[in-house]
Amino acid sequence: MSIDPRLLELLELIRTSEAQNKPVKPDKLALELGCSLDDLGKLLESALKEGLVERIANMWRLTDRGRIEVQSHRERYIHEKYGHRPGFLGQVTRFIEGSVQDWRGHWHRRHGLDENSLTGFYRNIQDLEGRVEETSSLVELHPGERGIVAFALGGYGLVRRLADMGLIPGTEVTVVRNAPFRGPVEVAVRGVSLALGYGVASKVFVKRHRGTE
Amino acid sequence: MEAKRRITVALAGNANVGKSVIFNQLTGLDQVIGNWPGKTVERAEGTLHYHGYTFKVLDLPGTYSLSAFSIEEIVARDYIAIERPNVIVNIVDASALERNLYFTIQLLELEAPMVMALNQVDFAAKKGIRVDGEKLSKVLGIPVVATVAITGTGINELLSTIVKVLEGKTKLTPLKISYGKEIEDRVEKLELTIRKKLPGLSAKYPARWIAVKLLERDEDIIRKVEGYQQGLEISALASTIAEEIERIHGEPSPIVIASERYSIASGMAKDVAHIEAPPRLHLEERLDSITAHKVLGYPILALVMATMFATIFIAGNILVGALETLFEDLLIPATLYLLSTVLPPSLVDLVSKGFLSGIAAGVTIALPYIVPFYIILSILEDSGYLPRVAFLLDNPMHKIGLHGKASICLLLGYGCNVPACTGCRIMETQRERLLGGFVTVLIPCTARTVVILGLVGRYIGIPAALGLYAFDLFLIFTLGRIGFKTLPGEPVGLIMEMPPYKMPSMKAVARKTWARTRDFVYIAFPLIIAGSVVLEALAVTGLIWAIADLMSPLIVGWLGLPSIAGIPIIFGILRKELTLILLADLAGTLNFNQVLTPVQMVVFSLVTMIYVPCIATIAALVREFKWKKALAISIIDILLALLVGGVTFRLLSRILG
Repeated sequence: MSIDPRLLELLELIRTSEAQNKPVKPDKLALELGCSLDDLGKLLESALKEGLVERIANMWRLTDRGRIEVQSHRERYIHEKYGHRPGFLGQVTRFIEGSVQDWRGHWHRRHGLDENSLTGFYRNIQDLEGRVEETSSLVELHPGERGIVAFALGGYGLVRRLADMGLIPGTEVTVVRNAPFRGPVEVAVRGVSLALGYGVASKVFVKRHRGTE
Repeated sequence: MEAKRRITVALAGNANVGKSVIFNQLTGLDQVIGNWPGKTVERAEGTLHYHGYTFKVLDLPGTYSLSAFSIEEIVARDYIAIERPNVIVNIVDASALERNLYFTIQLLELEAPMVMALNQVDFAAKKGIRVDGEKLSKVLGIPVVATVAITGTGINELLSTIVKVLEGKTKLTPLKISYGKEIEDRVEKLELTIRKKLPGLSAKYPARWIAVKLLERDEDIIRKVEGYQQGLEISALASTIAEEIERIHGEPSPIVIASERYSIASGMAKDVAHIEAPPRLHLEERLDSITAHKVLGYPILALVMATMFATIFIAGNILVGALETLFEDLLIPATLYLLSTVLPPSLVDLVSKGFLSGIAAGVTIALPYIVPFYIILSILEDSGYLPRVAFLLDNPMHKIGLHGKASICLLLGYGCNVPACTGCRIMETQRERLLGGFVTVLIPCTARTVVILGLVGRYIGIPAALGLYAFDLFLIFTLGRIGFKTLPGEPVGLIMEMPPYKMPSMKAVARKTWARTRDFVYIAFPLIIAGSVVLEALAVTGLIWAIADLMSPLIVGWLGLPSIAGIPIIFGILRKELTLILLADLAGTLNFNQVLTPVQMVVFSLVTMIYVPCIATIAALVREFKWKKALAISIIDILLALLVGGVTFRLLSRILG
């Protein structure tokens, strides 16, 4: 079941290039992964062996299986951050939920997401630019950190309200401060300060700005 | 001379952009203003005469959008679309142009005649932003007037611009909002079909607007469309088109449309606003970072609250002392002397006991605590501190199923439960509003503060009074938690704008305090005087003892109060301070030490604090939540007061021997 994390990283990168309709260039992949071209070759070989990627006309592409792996990896990752519950209790819940098989049903039953929001969510994680690890929820950002809104995961009402306040995909947000004990997060967006309750903020996913860590 | 014309002008815009300030400037009324989003929950109306016109001015509740998300949004857009005011004044905060233009775009889509007031240009300048009003006017095709509402700058120009628009001297060429090609083509197609097949609805709302709203999956409009013949067909078509848009853009179509609007707004804002200088907001930012600080914020909040109550108590006591002397030694004897020269002695007695002592008690017992309270509340409201409180208290509020904004209602409740109850409309759902209303009426308002401070605070000591407040908070928390677990539905999260700090203007504070005090005097004094007179009549006829006997098992047996205390408690439903005032009347003294023991004072204050909110609050509850729920809340409160009172009496008597 579990795949070598480096392999997963590779799949993520190929998926990104595909989403952007760009050719997959080995030298760029190697740079992003921070490895030599040789190591990359080995990695690609093993991916090929597992049937995760295919090579058509000298171009690397994900197979359907590869695509499913990427999607389920992204889904798990987002799930871990979603409604983020720190501490022991959160770990226990997450451990139990780790064995979820029917993800769509789980999102629906456990997190109350309707069919429409789910369709949007799956499209969002497919179109994600870059590796999913660069995405985090607003509650994980420290004061002063910036990010670009990737998507908000929630019911129609919540997502709509956020959109009206200007929090739509592609918008830059800066975390101004957060209150203690799972209190709200204050963010600056479009020249205005907004306070978002912890529950709300943990449903807004942003792509972190590089270099402002 | 042209005949007088009646004109309707509606003020529309985001929350907290200064609509109410402009409304007050235009009409000379005292619509309560404050630096927190959402205070205008009811639409206010006023009139103004200008150049032969009679303007009816309407202050619409502030909203960020015209979707069907909240009742306020539907109210605002239906008013604009259906009742068609002659002119809409879109009030825009120049310091947050992009977000405000997002709303302007939606107003333009409603195709209403519009003038823009570009407000808070002074504050924008402080943030280093200069907005080119002329350019904005050209882009939007509507007149734009720069204003600083709080000082009245630009108000005259705004009026003359409205008149020019009405007289056709200024032509409006409003910008037609067009979306990206994939959406635009589809909107136009849908618009044509709507025009053809739904002539009834397109006479009410602009056809293009209906088309856009359908694509936004706006529930209210879908319902309206489906109410017409061929409506189902249209809504099915719209839904198919929305799905197409979703496939192309990979987002739910309402979000796609919101994004498009924001990108138009953002382009405009970049075009007309220039960042000229770095912001000069060092003091405000420092204040912000201290008062909303994750550690320091809480002691500061405690300090602010403590200072508030201490000031009210100290100032109140000084005033009470001074006024008591004034009334008892000077005014009452003097009036009595004057009266006795013209009236027979029996009448003098009734006037003095019923009327005069009522006024005296109202002025000397209630006003001294209420006026300082209003002053402090106004300062807090205008400064922008309340949203910080909401930020800090969001988490504890979630424990009782509410979010941070509810803490603003609770704080307002310390002033008066009526606006606090109505203020619960800043909460998003009916469930939150009901829960908010339920806990808000348990907050001791100024009237109850008068009783707590005037009785327990004065005769037992401040720590005991503070203890009562603390106990009240505990009670609110417990009941709120029970209510939260009982009421069905999911809690809503906090999404709130944090307005910047502003120096409260002393003039505005004075005006607001005066307006609130005046309302208090108008509403409370007739009740106080009538209560006193009725009480005096009951005493004269001897009926009072019959009533007291009837209630004595409860009042004496269960609560351990003197039988005389039952009557003021009943009258307290009119106004809570009446309990104390009438107790003074009945006892014939303002020195409560002669009437009640310390334990009785505590029990009396507790019962007064908890049992049914006053008649005005019940009326507000009925208006907000209808009879059944208002009655349920009142009954719960009465039972709770009796329970707490009786238990406290037994506990305290045992402890103190």
